Amino acid sequence: MEQVPDFWRTEVLHSLAVHFPIALLIVAFLFKIVALRYKREVWERGGTVLLGLGVIGAWVAIFTGNLADGIVSKELCDPTVLKEHENMAWTTAWLYTAAFLIDGLRYIKIPLFKNKIFLIVVILILTGSTVLLTYVGHLGATLVYQQAAGVYTPSPDCSEFE
Amino acid sequence: MKAKILSTLLVATILLFSSCGEKTDVVESGTYEGTIKEVEPSKTEIYVETDDNKTLELYFTDETELTRDGSTVDFSILEEGMRVEVEVKKEGKRLDPVSVKVLE
Repeated sequence: MEQVPDFWRTEVLHSLAVHFPIALLIVAFLFKIVALRYKREVWERGGTVLLGLGVIGAWVAIFTGNLADGIVSKELCDPTVLKEHENMAWTTAWLYTAAFLIDGLRYIKIPLFKNKIFLIVVILILTGSTVLLTYVGHLGATLVYQQAAGVYTPSPDCSEFE
Repeated sequence: MKAKILSTLLVATILLFSSCGEKTDVVESGTYEGTIKEVEPSKTEIYVETDDNKTLELYFTDETELTRDGSTVDFSILEEGMRVEVEVKKEGKRLDPVSVKVLE
């Protein structure tokens, strides 16, 4: 009789890791937008902290995604979606990393970096990154809900659950 | 004006990044000759660039036969730049390598 596989499979780690950076990066973007209008420290620094945590999470998601790739690709009916998901995820992670580094410059005590233009650059990069992030998330969702990537499919009679 | 320049730079950067990464092609079932472009040992995966400039992403399955001079060989002998002949079976848009022959 078929057995239910262990939940803690390598390919499951990606879905466990990926939602944190998605939430953190989107909220970081919102904080930075608010910071542009209301110059309170909480929005500025809060946005930077969230962005930093989100960037770390994004690279963890890239790492776990890469592990899952080697397992699920062999079973997908359209692996080109996975390839697009992977390529776009790398682009998104690099863009958020660039935004974080530029944002970090603004805390260095050099007058040039205090210019508001740096905040605008960060927000522009975050805008593009967040659009890409949404697309990457959409591709990830189609992989799971249309191609059952990394999903265990129970037998028709559910006998393994008895 | 500054905002327009920045927006243009942003779009250009995104396009630049988007153009990075491997683009792969889907072909019909059949036999193709080409050169190994990349080997991913941890995923038992190879990218083969065919003679008509298509990139095939091939994940080895348990059934994939890998041979050299008629003998079965291990995946670890594969290297970038090797000439290979691959027989692929198209399942949906996935290409399963039925056999891979090293030609050199």
